[in-house]
Amino acid sequence: MNVLNFDSKVCERTRRQFDAYVSNELLVETTDEVVRHLESCQGCAAELESRVRVRVALRRAALGQLPPAQLSQSIHQRLRRTQPGPLAGFRSGTWALAIAATLAVILGGAGVEQALKLSQARQTVRNILALGVSDHVDCALRAHNYPDVARSQDELRQRLPPECAGLLPVVEEKLPGFELLEAHVCSLPGSPRKYVHFIARREGAILSVILTKRDGQSLPRGRLLEADTSAKLYQAHLNDMEVAGFESKNYFGFVVAGVGPNRVLRIARDLAPPVRGVLDRSSTATGGRREASELGEEASRL
Amino acid sequence: MFSQSKTRLEDFESAAMPYLADLYRTAKFLARDSSEAEDLVQETYLEGWKSFHRFETGTNCRAWLFTILFHRIHHFRRRQVKAARMEPFESAAEADQVMAAPPVPQEIRDEDILLALEKLPPEFREVVVMADVQEFSYKETAEALKIPLGTVMSRLSRGRKLLRRELAEVARLYGIRSGESETGEGRAG
Repeated sequence: MNVLNFDSKVCERTRRQFDAYVSNELLVETTDEVVRHLESCQGCAAELESRVRVRVALRRAALGQLPPAQLSQSIHQRLRRTQPGPLAGFRSGTWALAIAATLAVILGGAGVEQALKLSQARQTVRNILALGVSDHVDCALRAHNYPDVARSQDELRQRLPPECAGLLPVVEEKLPGFELLEAHVCSLPGSPRKYVHFIARREGAILSVILTKRDGQSLPRGRLLEADTSAKLYQAHLNDMEVAGFESKNYFGFVVAGVGPNRVLRIARDLAPPVRGVLDRSSTATGGRREASELGEEASRL
Repeated sequence: MFSQSKTRLEDFESAAMPYLADLYRTAKFLARDSSEAEDLVQETYLEGWKSFHRFETGTNCRAWLFTILFHRIHHFRRRQVKAARMEPFESAAEADQVMAAPPVPQEIRDEDILLALEKLPPEFREVVVMADVQEFSYKETAEALKIPLGTVMSRLSRGRKLLRRELAEVARLYGIRSGESETGEGRAG
C-alpha cells in the first residue's frame, strides 16, 4: 500500500478538500485557502489536475450515451394512454381510434372527428420528423461518421452524387458560424431508405442537415401543424433533439441538433427555400428514377 | 375535463421531457442494460405524470424526476434478490487514509472510463453519476438517493478513488507511465 508521508500537514489538509473543491461545494474561505496552497505546491496542483481530468473525461463519455430514437415517442404514447375520458390513448391505440371514429359517425360529432384528424396529422408530422432525428442520432452522434477536421471542398463534393453537388454551397452559406465537416449519402442498417447527410459543428454542438426521398409521403398542411406557415416549416422536440422539417417536390429536408428550438427553426427557415430550389431543379433535370438509382449507387459505394 | 387534462399533460411533457437523455443515461449506468434502462425511464415518466399534481411549478423538475428514477432503480434492485453482493473495496481505516493517488493516463478513452464506472459497486456508482455526470449538488444527490449528506460525501470520495484506481490499471496494462512522472505524485509542499 502506497501511503504518502507528507512533509506538510497543509498538503494533507488540502487534499482532503479536493473532492468538495472539484464539486464546487467548499465555502469561499476554504476555496481561497486551497487556491493559495495550489499556487505554491506543484504536487497538489498536479494531483488536482488529475482528478479534474477524470471527472471531465467521465462526463464527456457519459454524454455520448444517448437514448434510442423511439424512446421519446414510446413515452408520449404511454402517457396518452393514461389520459382519462373517451379519447384516452387515441394517439396510439387502434381500439381507441375505432371507438372515437364510431362515436363520430353515430353522434355526427364534427368536433370529435376534427380532433381525431388533427391528432392523426400531428402524429404523421412527428413520425416524419423522427426520420431526420434517427438519421442524425444514429449516423452523426452514435456512429460518429464525420472527421474531426473538416473535409476540403473537393472531398465534400466528391462524396455527393452529381445532382446534389449544388446543395453544397447553399448549405455552407446558410450555416454561418458552423464548420461543415462532412457530406455523404448513407442509409441505416436494414433500411432501404437513403439520405443525403451534411454534418456541421459549432462550439462543440453537432448539427445535421438531412435530405431523404419522400416516397409518396407528405407532411400534412395546416395552421395548427406548421411551426411557420409562410415558410411551410414543421418542428418537434424528439429524443432530446430539436428538429425542423420541410418538403420539396420529392424530398423531405430536416435540420436536427441538440441546440435551442428557435435556433434550429431559424436555420431551417434560411435553408429551406434555396434547398427546395436546388432539389426541384435537379428533379426536373434528371427525373426521379435516375436520381434514385444514383443515390443508391452512391450509398453502396460509401 | 378531457381538454383540461390534456393541457395538464402537455404541461408535464414540456416540463419533464427535456430531461429524457439525462434520465436514460443514469438509468443505463445503474441498470447496466439498455432495455432495462428504457423501462426504468418509461416508468419514471408514468410515475411522474401520476404525481404531477404534487409537483410545485417553479421548483426543480429535474431533481424531482431523478428522485422518482432512483425510487424505481432501488425497487428494481430489490427485485434482483439473487444478485451477488459486492464486497466493500477497502476497509474504513484504509478509506480514511490520504493515499497516494494512482497515476491515471493523460488521455482517457471513453470506453475505458465507462468500463471503470461499470465496475464500481452500485452504491458508489450512483453517487458518482449524480455528482459528476449529472452535476447535482451534494444536497440534491442526498435527497434523490434518500441518504444522509455525509454518506454522499464519503461514497463520492471512495467512488472517485475507485475510478482512478481502475484507470490506473488501464494505464499500467498499456504501459503508460505519464501520470506518475508528469503529475509529480507523492511530492508535497
